[in-house]
Amino acid sequence: MESIFDEQYHTTIGVKVDKKVVSVDREEVTLVLWDIHGEDVFQKMRMTYLRGMSGYLLVVDPTRRQTLEDALALEARVEESMGPIPWVLVLNKCDRIAEWEVDSERIPSSERSREAVIRTSAKTGEGVEEAFSRLTRAMLHSPC
Amino acid sequence: MPPASIHDTWLAHEATALFEFRGGGVFEPLAALPAWCDSLWQVGPGESVHLAEKSPFLENFLAEAEEFWTSPAPGARNSGYWVEQDSRGKEYPLEASAIWLAGKRVLTIRSLSGAYQEQQQLFQTARDALLTHERLLREIEKKEILLHCIIHDLSQPLTSMRSCFDLLLGKVEPEVAKFVMTGHRESQRQERMIRGILEAFSADLRGGESSTRGAALSADLVSCARRAVEQFAPAFTQHGIQLILAPYWDFERGSRVVGDAPRVDRIFGNLLENALRHSPAGSTVKVGLEDGGPVMTAFVDDQGPGLPKDSSRDHLFTLFGKGGDHPGKAGLGLYFCKMTVERWGGAIGAEDRAEGGSRFWFRLPRASQESAASLGPLGVNPPAAPVSPETTWKRVNKALHVVVADDDEISREMVVEVLRARGHKVTGVADGRAALAAFERVKPAVLVVDQHMPEMDGLAVARAIRQKEKQAGAARVILIGLSGNASGEDERRAFEAGMDALLGKPFEPNRLFQAIERPVAASRPEGAPGIAAPSEDLRTHITRMTGSDDKLARKLVAGFLADFPIKLSAIERAVSHKDADGLASAAHALRGGFSLFDARQSSLAARNLETMGREHRFEGAAEEFHTLSDDLNRLERQLRALFPQPISPKSSRARTRSHKKP
Repeated sequence: MESIFDEQYHTTIGVKVDKKVVSVDREEVTLVLWDIHGEDVFQKMRMTYLRGMSGYLLVVDPTRRQTLEDALALEARVEESMGPIPWVLVLNKCDRIAEWEVDSERIPSSERSREAVIRTSAKTGEGVEEAFSRLTRAMLHSPC
Repeated sequence: MPPASIHDTWLAHEATALFEFRGGGVFEPLAALPAWCDSLWQVGPGESVHLAEKSPFLENFLAEAEEFWTSPAPGARNSGYWVEQDSRGKEYPLEASAIWLAGKRVLTIRSLSGAYQEQQQLFQTARDALLTHERLLREIEKKEILLHCIIHDLSQPLTSMRSCFDLLLGKVEPEVAKFVMTGHRESQRQERMIRGILEAFSADLRGGESSTRGAALSADLVSCARRAVEQFAPAFTQHGIQLILAPYWDFERGSRVVGDAPRVDRIFGNLLENALRHSPAGSTVKVGLEDGGPVMTAFVDDQGPGLPKDSSRDHLFTLFGKGGDHPGKAGLGLYFCKMTVERWGGAIGAEDRAEGGSRFWFRLPRASQESAASLGPLGVNPPAAPVSPETTWKRVNKALHVVVADDDEISREMVVEVLRARGHKVTGVADGRAALAAFERVKPAVLVVDQHMPEMDGLAVARAIRQKEKQAGAARVILIGLSGNASGEDERRAFEAGMDALLGKPFEPNRLFQAIERPVAASRPEGAPGIAAPSEDLRTHITRMTGSDDKLARKLVAGFLADFPIKLSAIERAVSHKDADGLASAAHALRGGFSLFDARQSSLAARNLETMGREHRFEGAAEEFHTLSDDLNRLERQLRALFPQPISPKSSRARTRSHKKP
């Protein structure tokens, strides 16, 4: 989880497995987190990683528009492969909003399963807990 | 405790655990387990274990592994890397493989530590480099946008200034007129400088494409030298200094060198500006060329005080290395020259001349592919007279109704006034929607629209009008665009939107007249538009196309002679830079003037180049360009012989080229 929301950019290879306890509606839920490397020219994601997944966060760096486009393309593939499962779009670096190339008001809406668009800051921690809470709540209420 | 087998020792050394799959999720160790197994999953020696319960990642992968074991295929099924933490937070990078081994379903799990870190470092470095590259591209993009904004803002008032000077010239006394002419000339010079900055720095920002040596990047040194002398002659004359192009003979191997023509122009310009600053009135500055075999050298000789005597002479070409206490600007110009020349594999220098004064020179390698036809002989160029704008515009015989749309009030009013002074009937409007309304209301012959207007820009106006014409089956109105950034891309967009021409601001009023009136002249009843029969000589053809109006013919010839070298340079630049869009639009723009001159070969070559640009093909483009260039040079010589006194302020070009070396 630190690597996902670490202020300092760290590359991920493969999968990093972690756990996190989230409190939702006075109930403690333990999440098993798979921090999967982002897709780029160096690595492609194995769709087999997604087997058994209950929900996911797509973390975007809005100072680089391409990361949003990559994330939305990935979401489409996930939807196609897994069916509708809850997900949250996380726009990181909200402490550097002046540098954003992404207009969060104009992100194409996914009518299917997106739970929320959350702004976070790895630097200040803003929004991080909310992102997990929103996803957890959605997973608990998901019919899937 | 029995001694460990070599088998166990090797596995421990490799930090690899070996399990046999026994079914039902149970795995049995096939050898002693490495220590990390116990730290991570608390698996003791010889214990059977449900690995899926120990690791969520393995739970996922084992489903894949079981599929593999169920239908044995050659090779192995690999998990990819994953990282798990033990209870103390220590991380273990791992990799698992499902294989068949001696008839057993075997799972190997290897702890990677060293190899993983190495690969992570590699990926980190690669991704950092990618991020840096992305950042640089964004910076370059921002700078290009900023540059275009600055150019646009600097250019905008020039149109008004120029028009003011033109309007004033017809209304002031001769002693005042010379000051107005100076203002006019300086505004022209500023325009050239602004364009030069845009072209040179845009190319710089696009990266090191110009550093490539070879045939794709070549410039004709003779043309560049000639252009430089023509361009700077008025400024030298104004300071009482004679500027000449030294006599030279045809260069057997042509005069193409490695370099980009606009930047070679700029190098000449910087050296001449330097000479202008240091030369006393009454002296002579000479531009010359020398054939050095595999290289060509260009030089600028002055009769000034010579190079500085102090140590600053060693830093003439360094950044801000202006020599001594000489007047002038900060030393960026010579630094630019050095950087550029060296990038092309050349050299630059300066020296005192024995007869007094200094020589600044630069040397460039010859381009690997020379033009098949060298340029014709050229003689001494006497200093050109200052460029004199026409004091009044000839009023047209047939007034056109012109709608001018520009949201900038001053620019609009100036264009309106200039066209009214020419004798046209003009309606000015402030935006695109009003232009459309005026088009419907007054049925103009011509629309002049600014490309950048709020709400509805010039391109949208052009599209809407062409659509309306198509629906109504009406004749095409002449549509002229105005733009502060008339780049090749802008021109391409303008033509695609249906415009007939795009004029960059600031523009010569004559260019506007030419754009508006030429189609009218060309469609006069005596001569149907198009190319004449091949037997018709050039003079007859032009006479027919201009309705025997000699003044109009001289004006159109002068316009063409002044204009085609610019367009030819744009084509050369587009070919050398492999700028497909630029090539298509420049070749298209050049073709416009050919119908007047029956220039079949040029027309064909330009059309081929335009097609190449549109299809992003560059094979044979250089040869096609040389065909075009040669044919236009031939046409130019014929036209200059037929029209020794064309009507145009740009006729100085004709004078400077009319003296042939014996």
